[in-house]
Amino acid sequence: MLEQFVVYLFAALVVTGGLMAALTRQILYAIIGMGLSLLGLSGIFLYLGSPFVAAMQLLIYIGGITVAIVFAMMLSLSMSLRPPQSQPQKFALAIVGAGIFFAAMATVVHGTQFPLLQEQAPEAAWAVSQLGHLLLNAYNLVFETLSLVLLLAIIGAILIARKEKAVQ
Amino acid sequence: MTLHGFILLGLALFSLGLVAVLSRRNLIAVLIGVELMMNAASLNFMAFNRYVVKDPAIGQVFVLIIIGLAAAEVAIFLSIILRLYRLRRDIDVEHLTGLKG
Repeated sequence: MLEQFVVYLFAALVVTGGLMAALTRQILYAIIGMGLSLLGLSGIFLYLGSPFVAAMQLLIYIGGITVAIVFAMMLSLSMSLRPPQSQPQKFALAIVGAGIFFAAMATVVHGTQFPLLQEQAPEAAWAVSQLGHLLLNAYNLVFETLSLVLLLAIIGAILIARKEKAVQ
Repeated sequence: MTLHGFILLGLALFSLGLVAVLSRRNLIAVLIGVELMMNAASLNFMAFNRYVVKDPAIGQVFVLIIIGLAAAEVAIFLSIILRLYRLRRDIDVEHLTGLKG
């Protein structure tokens, strides 16, 4: 009972944060909303049985990505730029488009019967060590590719963002 | 909450991200919308992983990969934003029409 209550609380947090991120005009509030949404999502991951992924979500998303976006916001001074003129027509079209998408997908999901598991997997299958074994054996190629992608992304980010003194 | 509930939650999150991507003009707000959409995808993976898949480690591997790719994407995106701001003092999406034919 309490568990259900907490899950609904986290779900409400996800939706509230998402609304805040999508609708507010102040960019800082949008970032805070995204952080709240990610926090709620991390709680839901915990409920879905994966403390490791929940911790990674907290560490990387809230501790890393959100802070990086705040830095970019401050460095690009988008708070002090004059806010663009509001375009009610564009906003209304976006709402309508996303609403149509949501309604269509919700209808499809509602009409689908998923082949639910009869019994849950044993506790050992959820262990972090199992995850580590899979990452270093069956999914080793994906793991290594991901690390290569991260390395290239960092090098690319440095190359793009650095100051070019010689040209000036 | 059942599997349908989690999928609908992910769908709502994705739609909110879609609204942000379609309607916002600040490049950082567009990035936030993309992040919301990615997180909706990982919520879907975790929910199906819990209720449908026999081997529960696979969905977690997927979500970890999504998180890693999101980190790489954000690094590139933010450096592009900084570069744009330095060049043009402006990160409004509708003014970035340099590649328009």
